[in-house]
Amino acid sequence: MRFTSYIKDKLFCIVTYVAFFLVFWLMMLAFRSPAPLIRAFALLLFFLAAANLSWDYLRKRKFYQEFQYNLEYLDKKYLVLETIEKPGFYEGQIWHGAMYEINKSMLEHLKRYEESIRDFKEYIELWVHEVKLPIASLLLMCHNNRGALEKKYVEQIRRVDGYTDQVLYYVRSEHSENDYLIKEVALADLVRKTALKNKDDLLENEVEFSVEHVDVSVITDAKWMEFILNQLVNNSMKYKKKEDSSVIRIFARQDADKTVLHVWDNGVGIAAGDLPQVCKKAFTGENGRTHAKSTGMGLFIVKRLCTKLGHGIEINSRAGEYTDVAITFTKNDYYFRD
Amino acid sequence: MKQILIVEDDAAISAELTELLKNAGYQAAVLTDFAQAAETIAAAGADLLLLDINLPGLNGELLLREIRKTSQMPVIMVTSRTSEADEVLSMSYGADDYITKPYNPTILLLRIANIFKRIDAASEGTAALHYRDVLVNPAKGTLVRGTEELLLTKNEMIIFQLLLENQERIVSRDALMTDLWDNNEFINDNALTVNISRLRAKLSEFGYPDAIETRKKQGYVLVR
Repeated sequence: MRFTSYIKDKLFCIVTYVAFFLVFWLMMLAFRSPAPLIRAFALLLFFLAAANLSWDYLRKRKFYQEFQYNLEYLDKKYLVLETIEKPGFYEGQIWHGAMYEINKSMLEHLKRYEESIRDFKEYIELWVHEVKLPIASLLLMCHNNRGALEKKYVEQIRRVDGYTDQVLYYVRSEHSENDYLIKEVALADLVRKTALKNKDDLLENEVEFSVEHVDVSVITDAKWMEFILNQLVNNSMKYKKKEDSSVIRIFARQDADKTVLHVWDNGVGIAAGDLPQVCKKAFTGENGRTHAKSTGMGLFIVKRLCTKLGHGIEINSRAGEYTDVAITFTKNDYYFRD
Repeated sequence: MKQILIVEDDAAISAELTELLKNAGYQAAVLTDFAQAAETIAAAGADLLLLDINLPGLNGELLLREIRKTSQMPVIMVTSRTSEADEVLSMSYGADDYITKPYNPTILLLRIANIFKRIDAASEGTAALHYRDVLVNPAKGTLVRGTEELLLTKNEMIIFQLLLENQERIVSRDALMTDLWDNNEFINDNALTVNISRLRAKLSEFGYPDAIETRKKQGYVLVR
């Protein structure tokens, strides 16, 4: 609260004081009052006006300065009302009361919104669990009634399963609360599960699947990481070159303080211009136009999950040559301390 | 014949599962009444339990804890719940394995076979696997007959073992492939063909020329 601005704001009041003083002075002159009396009254009036304005300025300044300071330095600005005292002046009280009401109604609104998101998330989780049952039945039926079409059916059912997983993990990556559990996980187990899940596809497309140096433990959520690996392998297969023989290599490098897992393929790669954007939501880029159709959600979800789990993710690629996704797991000494 | 009890409320799945298990040479029964489930399961005397988590009016994890109070029967949790917390909880309550739906049926069968293998090995002291007059030693990767010894590679041993466990039954190429991949051998179709013909050649040299028969478009059979 600046003094000059305050004075400007009170200009009408000051003008009234001055006008009153002039009228008073002219009247005193008209009644031929003695000069010392006029001066004394003039001085008295001036001090009264000054005292009045200063007192008003000071009490407002005390309140507004605290308020503005708190507002500036508060991380969650909507909580500012909790940090200040109720003002002593009338306008302030009206304002405070109004702010309180506004805040309250906004919080209620927000609560409804949060509840509806939570309900929606719970419903999606439930729905995914439900839809997994017919998917499981279909896979069993295919297995029990083997025929010429079995492989084709299984492939399509697996696609449905993949998309339902994507919905589940999208919701989890956006609104995760207690649905992940970080513990020591054998990387080889995750790779094996991913390999088995994609076995038919890899064999059908004659993709060489090579796994090296994955006999390490990392600290992560096994289910989330499995989804991430599965997405990366799916991407590698989706964007493989049509002419050359395809290779997917999964390997881990160990450093003193971290383990880096690489998923490398010799596929079509990512254009340099697209590279910084591939993890953005709904980004499809050049590959989305020229190759397999893409929703642009896979890598977005992968990146979100990695961030939530505290893993680094880095994508390197050269168009037409290779793509390498590196996931960094930090080795947390604290975790292993008893 | 091993008996497997299925605790599952989805009728379609339990019907298909029953067929799958019967085709694989197990006896399968389905638990349909979930009231007094723990007692019914204990009374059924099955060799293995396939247990779902989401059951009507009942939680599979709590049921497992109930069962563990009286019995050490092997239990595989089969569920559509995909959170790590559920798996950790189930394992801490004493589940032997945890498989999420939808699963690869071949893998489910492999897991079941693994558990039975482990139990048999534990009860007989050592895993005494025999084929005709040959002692099979999977850990060493050898077939032993008297003083003669035949050395198999890791892949050949995996293939031979699966054929042996399903002796006289057709084992599909897909099942062999799944077993190999489940053992971190991510080989392709050609390599499988090569491995099988090498195994055949070795067995034939060892005196069993017709041990492995090919069934066109179906798979392989290890004959007695």
